[in-house]
Amino acid sequence: MIPTLETERLILRPLCEETDFEPMAAFFASERSGFYGGPCDRAQAWRKTAVYPGHWALRGYGPFALEEKATGRFAGLAGPWFPEGFPEPEITWMLCDGFEGRGLATEAALRGLRFAYETLGWRTAVSSIEPRNGPSLRVAERLGAVHEYDFRIGDSDLGIFRHLSPAVLAEMAA
Amino acid sequence: MIALTGIPVLETERLVLRAPQPQDGPGYVAFMMSERAQYVGGPLPERRAWYAFATEFGHWATRQFGMWAVTEKGSDICLGYVGCWSPQTWPEAEIGWTLWPEAEGRGIAYEAALAARAHAYGTLGWATAVSYIDYGNERSARLAERLGARLDPEALFPGHDMGAEPCRVYRHPAPEDLA
Repeated sequence: MIPTLETERLILRPLCEETDFEPMAAFFASERSGFYGGPCDRAQAWRKTAVYPGHWALRGYGPFALEEKATGRFAGLAGPWFPEGFPEPEITWMLCDGFEGRGLATEAALRGLRFAYETLGWRTAVSSIEPRNGPSLRVAERLGAVHEYDFRIGDSDLGIFRHLSPAVLAEMAA
Repeated sequence: MIALTGIPVLETERLVLRAPQPQDGPGYVAFMMSERAQYVGGPLPERRAWYAFATEFGHWATRQFGMWAVTEKGSDICLGYVGCWSPQTWPEAEIGWTLWPEAEGRGIAYEAALAARAHAYGTLGWATAVSYIDYGNERSARLAERLGARLDPEALFPGHDMGAEPCRVYRHPAPEDLA
């Protein structure tokens, strides 16, 4: 069972292929998807969408669909993510067009990080970010993550950012 | 993993078609990285091959049907994936098959595809089914023919509205024609 989580402005819930596919296809048709394996056509976008529930089935965890409370709209994805070939389990995030610039990615990623620590029992977590992905670099910075090493996968050079430890995060929340 | 629940197990004379399992991953990924995957969207780099594997699970999770891992009775080793495939973007639902090279030549795909089609027509209630087969994939075209499927020149192919390369559409006999 995939749980449902909440933040101030977002609901983190299981991806629903029927309703979330159209906004996912729009995301993967846009330049915003360049750091997420896009842009690509609708057929490829469907495969990429189905990867997320597949990841949940395979790993027992995965990214959540983000729903904006105020509008009920699908805003993106965030949560634990560990595709084969990546150096470590990580916290990922992506936002659809129109949801950027309001701190939603930070809010969602932080909830995903707490879920990984508190529910999944992770003792550490990273996020891998392409050096040209300015908005995601700023999210990592706001989360207090620190660049630790670089990792090359396929054609991409990824910076690996280490998140605050479970202990530090718990202290901040207290 | 979170077990995908409610996935039926199909049995044929020689085979068991079961739910995808994480241990099928290495064989699946190796196939998708190989030249043999040229007619099913490959060859892919390792990471994308793993995504394709995850999509098999995602298809079951989102559509409540999908591709089974084909095994021989008495062994749990996966020989390939055969089943019912229907992404939201495709014009029609498909009976699909992909067998690892070492399992070819023994009628395994034929036997598994017959079981998958019977399931599609019976349990899933499909009124028709197609198989999309790339030009050049003569082995699969022969299997489609052997299953009684025939070229349907009127049918749309996946991606016809997105500038995709055309493929052949084989239409299977209708349920009433098999009864």
